[in-house]
Amino acid sequence: MNWERFLDALSRVPHELSIHVIMVLISLAVAIAISLPIGVILTRPRFRKMGALVMNILNLFQAFPGMAIIALTMPVLGMGLKPAIGALVVQALLPIARNTIAGLYGVDPNTKEAAQGMGMSERKVLFEVELPLAMPVILAGIRTSAVYVVSVGTLAAYIGGGGLGDIIVAGLNMLWAEFIIVGAGFGALLAIFFERGLSYLEYKFTPPGFTITK
Amino acid sequence: MSNLLKYMVENASIILDYASTHFSLIFSAVAISLVLWIPLGILISRNERLASIVLGIANTIFCIPSLALFSVFVTIPFFGLGRPSSLLALVLYAMMPMVINVYQGIKVVDKSVIEAAKGMGMNSRRILREIQLPLAAPVMFAGIRITVVMATGIAAIAAYIGERNLGRLITEGLTRYHVEMILSGAILIPLIAILFDTVLGAVERMLVPKGLKVSRSK
Amino acid sequence: MIELHDVTKIYAGQTVPAVKNLTLKIKEGETCVFVGPSGCGKSTILRMINRMIEQTSGTILINNKDIREADPDRLRMGIGYVIQQIGLLPHRTIAENISIVPRLYGWDKERIRKRVDELLELMGLDPDETRDKFPAQLSGGQMQRVGVARAMAADPPIMLMDEPFGAVDPIVRGHLQDEFLKIQREMKKTICFVTHDINEAIKMGDTIAIFEKGQLVQHGTPQEILSKPKNEFVRTFIGTDRVVKMLTLFQVRSITKDNYSIIRENELANIRQKMDDEGAAVGILMNESAKPCGLITRDDLEKAGELNPEKIKEIACGKKDAFIDGDLLLNDALSLMLEWNCDYLGVLDGAQLIGIVSFDDIRECVRRKEGE
Ligand SMILES: Nc1ncnc2c1ncn2[C@@H]1O[C@H](COP(=O)(O)OP(=O)(O)O)[C@@H](O)[C@H]1O
Ligand SMILES: [Mg+2]
Repeated sequence: MNWERFLDALSRVPHELSIHVIMVLISLAVAIAISLPIGVILTRPRFRKMGALVMNILNLFQAFPGMAIIALTMPVLGMGLKPAIGALVVQALLPIARNTIAGLYGVDPNTKEAAQGMGMSERKVLFEVELPLAMPVILAGIRTSAVYVVSVGTLAAYIGGGGLGDIIVAGLNMLWAEFIIVGAGFGALLAIFFERGLSYLEYKFTPPGFTITK
Repeated sequence: MSNLLKYMVENASIILDYASTHFSLIFSAVAISLVLWIPLGILISRNERLASIVLGIANTIFCIPSLALFSVFVTIPFFGLGRPSSLLALVLYAMMPMVINVYQGIKVVDKSVIEAAKGMGMNSRRILREIQLPLAAPVMFAGIRITVVMATGIAAIAAYIGERNLGRLITEGLTRYHVEMILSGAILIPLIAILFDTVLGAVERMLVPKGLKVSRSK
Repeated sequence: MIELHDVTKIYAGQTVPAVKNLTLKIKEGETCVFVGPSGCGKSTILRMINRMIEQTSGTILINNKDIREADPDRLRMGIGYVIQQIGLLPHRTIAENISIVPRLYGWDKERIRKRVDELLELMGLDPDETRDKFPAQLSGGQMQRVGVARAMAADPPIMLMDEPFGAVDPIVRGHLQDEFLKIQREMKKTICFVTHDINEAIKMGDTIAIFEKGQLVQHGTPQEILSKPKNEFVRTFIGTDRVVKMLTLFQVRSITKDNYSIIRENELANIRQKMDDEGAAVGILMNESAKPCGLITRDDLEKAGELNPEKIKEIACGKKDAFIDGDLLLNDALSLMLEWNCDYLGVLDGAQLIGIVSFDDIRECVRRKEGE
């Protein structure tokens, strides 16, 4: 263990960590902004058939590895932070869209019917019944996405995106354990932080009475 | 596009070579995972305290970015660059989908079925063998399927720690700015993953006991 | 015979006992129904008897042997167990489900096959049609039947039934109760039967044990319970129609009398004379083929005043439906009396007249039973 090298690695953390966090937050925000409305539209009665189809495709694409997405970005968008974010958005889209559709499909039709029967408009049913009830599932999708994005974000280093991956890659290239441990450690902490934080949100958003299901 | 095909044909032998390393890594990882995680899943289905601990650990490991986990093992002297580190990382990642699916598969078996079986004098080994495992089989297999698909993607990352598998097409392609090389990796790997997913999905459906597929309307 | 001595159960982590100081004897061949509001500990008692759970203190004896000395699995193999959710194995056929315990005993295939068919038949299911189906292919009522058949598979002398007919609609439940009573009349098993429905308890039980908050409040025959509710709780639990419920314990046949006169068409003119001579309360009008076709009481005659045969016939025929089968119960008779606004009913056995039953007799019967 080389103490100086360890400090050197640590000194790079604030910069790389902030890039990583920015990368993750931007790509999550963009992915949510895109996939939430799409999920809502695809579950409206008019598009219901299409929704099922999209769901199948999304399920298929779940098998698509993050590294392949990163690799495919380079020839298309080139190198740098922006292409990296582009790749991460694609990565984040899938679970969120999937869970939005699944969550909205999962709302008990009787509950919707009852709400409509009380004279709620379609809009009101969506915002006051469907979305709140689907929220835990949607948040679970966002959580999955966040963990993926933090993980795939470390690979962004290979297409010049920077972030914690830079520290790991430097360590791998030089075979410096100190760099690897610092980069990997913060990467892991960041992912766990997002996972726990979003789990907590999910728990908070679960309507009372839904908390203990089976 | 034609450049890509040309590249793939010209380098067919090396790609096949990479593919076989890729498969052997996945295969060993899944084999070890089966031996470790299925018994663990069964064990924790009988002890709630242990279950929450084990599932917490599996969940945390699953969060760790793949590149980070691979790299950390490299720093451990015995593991170093190459197979042992890659294998260990994949097996650890498999813990989450496999253990949780075995656990849940057993747990979702209707409580009243177990109560009735126990009430008729079936011992707990028999209940496990004749009721819980057959009914949990599809869910357990789903865990294996997720593991295989996931391992296909993550194994590629092991190319950064010295595995000579399909991931190398991407890592080397990126360093050499060789677009065809990158593309061949970035297309083959997902293709294989999706293929595994589809085939294993079909097997999974076959495992559903017949009694659960029928209904009165027949 | 099942005996519980001072049995108490306190679940882990709880302070209030689920069952408290219970002492109870269930005789051989007797159906004892545990009844009480939900959560009063009925299932807990049942599950202690087959050691699904262990009592905290006290002893449970089956045929004078402490159940704690037996191997739990062997003990359970010898006790039929039916639960409300039935718990059929969804991945096994009906035949396989029924043969679980025989298989545990190691019966040979042929014997098991025969037994399965016999049981299906007994439970009113067509063996050829049902045997190879899966539980999901049956209706709720059919599944309940299979559940009972499965519990009886190895002919256990004791059956524990926890709300066995609770999951089906009232009509099917009625059928299942009737059929099970018929089967039990021949098999004479020792049965602990749990229900929260007092009517089911009255119908099924040789004795009824009423529980409140884990404690036995009263144990006795349905008649004892209905005629002498021990306290306000039992009284409320039985309901305000306690006496009408008591009527369900007796068949009309049991209080039938023969103080009636047969009146033929040509005797209508001197009907009063004939009834006076025979000391009859009721005249039953017979048609040419000697079938009862009307009924007239002394009261009717008084009101009619002038004895015009046509008029008498009209009154009598107006009550041509005031007859009841002798197998039916006193509450049915009461209902018909109210329906026809008539103190008397003719009692039939098939198409054969066997007597009459009167409102006063019903009242007398209740008074006597209450006094006992
Ligand atoms: N496994 C258990 N653990 C803790 N408490 C229990 C358990 N089973 C039942 N109880 C409690 O014991 C009491 C009696 O339950 P039970 O015997 O199921 O009542 P019943 O069958 O009469 O409805 C209830 O208050 C119930 O909450
Ligand atoms: Mg109960």
